Amino acid sequence: MGTVVSIDLADELPPAVLETMIGDTCQWLHEVDRRFSTYRDDSEVSRFRRRELTLEECSPDMRHVLEACADLWRETDGYFDAYAAGPLDPSGYVKGWSVEIASARLAEAGSVRHCVNAGGDIRVRGLAASGKPWRVGIRHPWEADKLSWVLSVTDCAVATSGTYERGDHVVNPRSGKPARGLRSVTVVGPDLAIADAYATAALAMGEPGIGWLAKLVPDGYESAAVTEDGRAFSTAGLPAAV
Amino acid sequence: MRRSTAAAVGTLTGAALIVGVRLSVSAPAVPTAAPPAVDLAGSGQDAKPDPTKKPSSKKPAKNDADDDADDAGASSDNEGSSGEAGGSGLKDGVYKGAAVRNPYGTIQVSIKVQGGKITAADATYPTAGESATINPPAVTALKQETLKAQSAEVNAVSGATFTSESYVKSLQAAIDDANA
Repeated sequence: MGTVVSIDLADELPPAVLETMIGDTCQWLHEVDRRFSTYRDDSEVSRFRRRELTLEECSPDMRHVLEACADLWRETDGYFDAYAAGPLDPSGYVKGWSVEIASARLAEAGSVRHCVNAGGDIRVRGLAASGKPWRVGIRHPWEADKLSWVLSVTDCAVATSGTYERGDHVVNPRSGKPARGLRSVTVVGPDLAIADAYATAALAMGEPGIGWLAKLVPDGYESAAVTEDGRAFSTAGLPAAV
Repeated sequence: MRRSTAAAVGTLTGAALIVGVRLSVSAPAVPTAAPPAVDLAGSGQDAKPDPTKKPSSKKPAKNDADDDADDAGASSDNEGSSGEAGGSGLKDGVYKGAAVRNPYGTIQVSIKVQGGKITAADATYPTAGESATINPPAVTALKQETLKAQSAEVNAVSGATFTSESYVKSLQAAIDDANA
């Protein structure tokens, strides 16, 4: 089971150049899938799980991912947990990280205006084709075709975690019980992997997650959350579009 | 101005845990503009201490705030009555609600009535224990607002991870189509 990545390049470059960029990006994302998928027996993650690889034998990327997961586990008081489901599953970090790298590589290749959306987790750079900041909608947590916020963003990441697609499958790793209280959490900030992990952690915390999100503001991470009974909250600095 | 859009299906592992997809769920009882201080205080439950019942709190009719606070289902009923239904007219003074315990601590709401109108509302929050670190920031840094359901034009949609299957029906898919 995979997800879908949409790549929108707004640079004024020849079509052939843009197509090459998209091709390279897709190639990178498929490479990430081969190396980090928990669904592939021969991925590095699967081999590490089976202890066929020691930490020293892992690739630098893999070691980075493991370290980042450990850091986030501490930073979120254990609510972001790559071992929440039992065996190691760093997917929650790898997705955002791979898109961050994809966006950085696009920039290196000359694309300074793009939007990469990996299954609802978004990294934008520069301005949209309109010449204005990118307009990113946050899906309404009950009505799939509606938006509950519209953001105006450039050079940042937008990540949303919600219980509406996974049902009760978001688990509070500290209690082992399904996460309750929040329906949807969106975090906006400089790094997609971190924003995504924060959103997942807050969701797992339940309603106390709203208070926890407030503490991220000084680090540059703004947020919006919707409770299960339909109350909406947002930080004052959320870059809402006018 | 050139632009180009492409979708790569079947990449990444992020959605690996997804089992079911729910696309349409009935809309929630969306609270209207309730006084934020009061609602925040209620956290898990709905902050019942309606201004309306405070003056009449001598009659213990609705006094069991602890019990009915638990069933959030009743929220929409109470919502409408906040504010006006005080029919008999509110007497000037400061009223304190019963201290209500919720999973995060004990909260007490108070209101000030002047000239028959509520002129101020306040709530006390836990100052000790785990809750103390959780509640105050929620009050100061995240403001409550009305949940909107809008259809604006956007470049991209952020939402809980969509699977390849649910992508097909998503707003993002429609945007990609339009750009292709």
